[in-house]
Amino acid sequence: MTAAAPAQRAGKHGRTGERQEALAGYAFIAIPMLLFLVLNIGTTLFAFYISLWDWNYRLGPQELIGLANFEKLLGDRLFHTAIRNTAYYTVIWVPLTMAVGLFLAVIVNQKIRGQTFFRAAFYFPAIASSAAITVLWIFLLQPDGLFNEVRGAIGLNPLYEAMGFGPNHNWFGNSGTAMNSVIILNAWTTSGTFMLFYLASLQSISHEVYEAAAIDGAGPWQAFWKVTFPLLKPGHFFVATVGVIGGLQLFDQALIGGGSNGDPQYALMTVVLYLYNAAFSQFNPGYAASIGVVLFFVILVISLIQRRLFGNTQAA
Amino acid sequence: MRQRLITLGFTAAFVLAACGGGGGSPAPGTGGPGATGPAGTGPAGTTAAFDPSTVTGEVTLGAWESSPAEGTALEAALAAFAEKYPNIDVTQETIPGDYRVQMATNFSSTTAPDVFYVNAEYAPEWIEEQFLEPLDPYIAKQGFDTSTFFPGYADIFKGDDGTTYGLPKDGNTIAMAYNTDLVTTPPTTLDELVTAADALKGQGTLKAPICLSPGLDRALAFIYAQGGSLLTEDGSAAAIDSAESKAAVQWYLDLIKNGQGMTPTQLGDSWCGEALGKGDVAFAFEGGWIKGAMDNDFPDINWDFAEMPAGSAGKATITYTAAYSINPDSENKDAAWVVLQYLTGPEGMQKWTEGGIAIPSRSDVPTPAGFEVVVAGADYAKPGSGFIKSYGGADGVQTVFQNAMVGEIENATFSADPVIAATKAKIDEILGS
Repeated sequence: MTAAAPAQRAGKHGRTGERQEALAGYAFIAIPMLLFLVLNIGTTLFAFYISLWDWNYRLGPQELIGLANFEKLLGDRLFHTAIRNTAYYTVIWVPLTMAVGLFLAVIVNQKIRGQTFFRAAFYFPAIASSAAITVLWIFLLQPDGLFNEVRGAIGLNPLYEAMGFGPNHNWFGNSGTAMNSVIILNAWTTSGTFMLFYLASLQSISHEVYEAAAIDGAGPWQAFWKVTFPLLKPGHFFVATVGVIGGLQLFDQALIGGGSNGDPQYALMTVVLYLYNAAFSQFNPGYAASIGVVLFFVILVISLIQRRLFGNTQAA
Repeated sequence: MRQRLITLGFTAAFVLAACGGGGGSPAPGTGGPGATGPAGTGPAGTTAAFDPSTVTGEVTLGAWESSPAEGTALEAALAAFAEKYPNIDVTQETIPGDYRVQMATNFSSTTAPDVFYVNAEYAPEWIEEQFLEPLDPYIAKQGFDTSTFFPGYADIFKGDDGTTYGLPKDGNTIAMAYNTDLVTTPPTTLDELVTAADALKGQGTLKAPICLSPGLDRALAFIYAQGGSLLTEDGSAAAIDSAESKAAVQWYLDLIKNGQGMTPTQLGDSWCGEALGKGDVAFAFEGGWIKGAMDNDFPDINWDFAEMPAGSAGKATITYTAAYSINPDSENKDAAWVVLQYLTGPEGMQKWTEGGIAIPSRSDVPTPAGFEVVVAGADYAKPGSGFIKSYGGADGVQTVFQNAMVGEIENATFSADPVIAATKAKIDEILGS
């Protein structure tokens, strides 16, 4: 690229070198790529295939039933409940976690003493096991758990009473508050990850634009809303996409919090938890696969819409 | 493209995640009945066409393990088997995590063990899915005595046509566990129970006199006691909408409405055994498994078992059990049968139940100390699950009933009507399909 003089020779040499480099590159990715094709793409395609069959675990395919599994889904009230719950979770959880993540990112992006400590502290819940942290959360939110004790001790009970929650409210055991408890739990655990994404985006914003904004007389508040926030668009897109995909996938916390039935009263029944039920309590892998296929297309469509909304931006 | 790959990867991931298991633990080890009686001998007229001691080979045995004690008990039973049948080599595989999930994947990869546990709750599904080998030919050719199994256990593992797909390895019935410091004479009728509960209100550390599960897992016993039922006698139609059933469900809800009972959720306990152990309640309706929990976790609470209080229809209770079954793909079914007939026979079952965590499912095995009441109930107990397809699970009868009950309790409306309507609709849907 640099020396233009012996163009022919350089070009020839370049082509051979490029080819060798490419071969080496393919050699390096061959094994991971093979695993990816077999374990990810292969299983996905196989799930599509299974969804068209009445499938028996022990005996394999029994009868090709076409789209019958999908037709059954249309009339399956519990599946509709699962979709409602999952949509509710995603619509509340994604913006909430994005807001918290952005807030944390802006804070730890300041040049303050102990910056590294705060970054690690905010990220900490993300590296803890989701199962362990959910169990801990359930424990804290029990009727006689720490949360209820503390709010009583500091005199907040009248406030909760006004919202209709008694002093010993069972947050996970009540159908009205179970999903919201999961939302708050996950907003807390995931905000650290979102903070990292936003932090990367924040640091890619040039100082010059802030200087220009300062010269134009923008205060910190204006600078954030008029400069930082719009310039974070690629970050918003990436975080929102990852968030929506993760939100529609909600499973561990629902299973641990409400068991495989999504207790109480299906409040924690999510699409993936229902898939799990179809597979392992109805023993109907074909039906379970059809739920997976539907979720696949839902996520595909939402991702495409998000892409359209945010424009064709490069992810951070 | 990038998004598409992410999406594809995600889909595969959740398919894999769904296959990965995890989650709820399998049923508690079940234990059973066993009025003691003379050992059964083989039915008359059978010739010794099949001699188990001549069979050789290797057998894998799949089990869940609720506690280390359960593992020890199974080891002891298998050691006794190895002594009696040295030509058969048994390898025990403990299935980790969610047994039902793990076994489903084992069946699909043809790696399921030769002999394995089957919990009552999903026995009808496993029979329908052809996961279980019919046992009648083996029972017949050996002349194996199945007459001493309590029917409340054995019937669960029979198909609609009466074919036997499993033999109960042990069994439990629901009995009344009560705090002996607070209750000197246990109530013998439901009316006495209500009277006793009223007298206990507000005493000591009690949050409520009785711990009541909002599900059929306990309520069904009280429905039977008052002449109600889920299904008609022949199992062909719903009977939950009968006057007796309705009255029983209303009676159950009224206990909670009137402060005589509370659910574990209301009490803040994970189950009624914990509620009894912590002194939150004076009565809990549980099976033999509560004994281990009380002995180990709550040794300071004085308690005892009593038989379920009788209702207008007399004494009634329900069973919890699990069976041994054989894998239809097993390469050595004869050897698998030899293991099964030993472990469910009088000798093997005695070894197994001597471990202290299981209760015999046949009347010719001695009752382990402390479980006399649980075994007494087996004489009149009806199946607590496994009598209708789709009983458990998120879309099952039991879940629909329980969710409707929880709704009535949460909203403080305490009406049986919506519970009956929802349950009947679900039963009709299952029977009609």
